[in-house]
Amino acid sequence: MTPVVQLDGVGHRFGSAANGVAAVSDLDLAVRRGTFTTLLGPSGCGKTTTLRMIAGFIRPTSGRILLEGTDATDTPPERRNIGMVFQSYALFPHMTLTDNVGFGLRARRRPAAEVRKRAGEALELVGLSHAADRKPGELSGGQQQRVALARAVAIEPSVLLLDEPLSNLDARLRVQMRQELLRVQRETGLTAILVTHDQDEALQLSDTMVILNGGRLEQQGDPRTVFPAPANRFVAQFLGYDNFPEVPGFGPVTIRPEHVRLTAAVTGEEAATDSVELAGTVADVTYQGSHCLIGVDTAGGRLNCVHPGDDFRPGEAVRILLPRHRLVELADAHTPAGAR
Amino acid sequence: MILRRPLLSLLSAIAFVIMLGPVVILLGVAFTAGSTLTFPPEGLSLRWFAAALEYRPFIDSLGTSLVVAVLSTAAALALGIPATLALQRGAVPGKAFIENLFMTPIIVPELVLGLALFQQLMVGFNITALGTLVIGHTVLLLPYTVRVVGASLALADPRLEEAARGLGAGPVRTFFSVTVPVMRPGIISATILAFITSLNNVPLSLLLTGPGVATLPVEMLNYVQSSFDPVVAAVSVVLLALSVAVALLTERLVGFNKVFGR
Ligand SMILES: Nc1ncnc2c1ncn2[C@@H]1O[C@H](COP(=O)(O)OP(=O)(O)OP(=O)(O)O)[C@@H](O)[C@H]1O
Ligand SMILES: [Mg+2]
Repeated sequence: MTPVVQLDGVGHRFGSAANGVAAVSDLDLAVRRGTFTTLLGPSGCGKTTTLRMIAGFIRPTSGRILLEGTDATDTPPERRNIGMVFQSYALFPHMTLTDNVGFGLRARRRPAAEVRKRAGEALELVGLSHAADRKPGELSGGQQQRVALARAVAIEPSVLLLDEPLSNLDARLRVQMRQELLRVQRETGLTAILVTHDQDEALQLSDTMVILNGGRLEQQGDPRTVFPAPANRFVAQFLGYDNFPEVPGFGPVTIRPEHVRLTAAVTGEEAATDSVELAGTVADVTYQGSHCLIGVDTAGGRLNCVHPGDDFRPGEAVRILLPRHRLVELADAHTPAGAR
Repeated sequence: MILRRPLLSLLSAIAFVIMLGPVVILLGVAFTAGSTLTFPPEGLSLRWFAAALEYRPFIDSLGTSLVVAVLSTAAALALGIPATLALQRGAVPGKAFIENLFMTPIIVPELVLGLALFQQLMVGFNITALGTLVIGHTVLLLPYTVRVVGASLALADPRLEEAARGLGAGPVRTFFSVTVPVMRPGIISATILAFITSLNNVPLSLLLTGPGVATLPVEMLNYVQSSFDPVVAAVSVVLLALSVAVALLTERLVGFNKVFGR
């Protein structure tokens, strides 16, 4: 099946070729119909730039962009049939919600009756039918976000682009809107690409997550594949694998703090075969109620552990067990640029 | 309110008296039946308005003033709106510098500006007094149109135009259905501000008046230099009424709150 969006070695440099900034470099990406893709990465890694190139607001300085299989690198945004949701919502302040949502259909010169009907349906989809005649200024942030979504969905775009749509909302509303977003995407069957720097958001929403760093692709795939097996140190760090210990008999590895097990050094139980064993000294203990965050110094570096219980104190000697199946071997030994 | 914040109320009251007191006195003098500029007036009459109407220079200069105000306001908008659009939305190199350049007429003393224009345009190029007046006022008003329209654009989300383009509107449709409405409050306030500023200007007009061509404020100044009777007060009231009328008309048409508030 032809990908809805395909990037072929796409790059963008701001400024001159000599002393500009490469915001995105040599990016390949294929987005399948009806899927939810997230672009994930730290601030400044080129997520917005990538999205704006797909939308046509900026032109790639290298590579091609294909939409529905045809080269759209030079197609202006108004002819790409793309629904964009901006972080700042960008609702037209002088129009009612109905007029905002109907804008794209009016631009397509659809009959007034059809515009009104479909704008109404889109508003209903996001639960705002009752506010159809209000202006955006009279709505809360969450409601404005819904209108922005309805406006983008109303044109039945071939792809829905969302640039950190939830980052202006408070934590509770954000979680609620994530569900809402997923529901709308599933109900409409739309192809969606969402930009975020929140890994929880990416894990929850994605069919495919694409992790960027410094304008380059680090890893992509289904969250259930990527999360347990980060390919390199950058991805691991970004996904919360805090430990990069030197383990005898292994190359570069990582392990999540919640997978590190601690026991008292004195118990002298038999060596576990399914775990790698290290010796260390407790360096600090942070009490968190249900568990403690414990930093342990070992010969192979500092290890952070999530430990159920509050039975260790700084200075105590401990045995550290790293379950073999939780150790993730990394492709790179060096620290990539950007992973500080 | 008054009891709660006595100091604030007192200060506001003083400010009102200082600002409006002279206006009230002027109004009184204009409607006097007597023949001196004294307050309180000696009886009420419209005789000084009638006298003003019979004094040709006032009527002629009022016409000149209105023509100059209308033309220079229109010209300042026609030049200022595209300029501010380019500055706010376009990728203009040296933006800050150009922005400051548009502000210079505010900084340069008007008399200096007037003298320069007089030298270059009237003497140098033989442009008529009326033409020079319109050009001079346009220069004077340009900072207002650029700034005020620019402010409404700067307040708006720069992504609005992109949103419209993304939704399928071409550049022209985007301009008329999004950019223009966004600028509208700014355009309206710039129009009022520019019109009133032109109508009441003295320093610049003073230097650009030629034989038989003067604006109303300049003619009033001339009049006061030779005679001192309530006619000037009556004319002042007319000028004041005109300014207020422009403001009220706008208020009726669009609502002041929409123009100056948000
Ligand atoms: N208009 C511009 N001119 C010059 N450089 C730019 C411009 N826009 C972005 N950049 C640079 O390009 C890089 C990528 O920016 P981009 O906005 O795509 O990052 P992002 O991943 O969206 O970051 P964030 O999470 O902070 O939104 C950054 O280094 C940024 O400084
Ligand atoms: Mg961004």
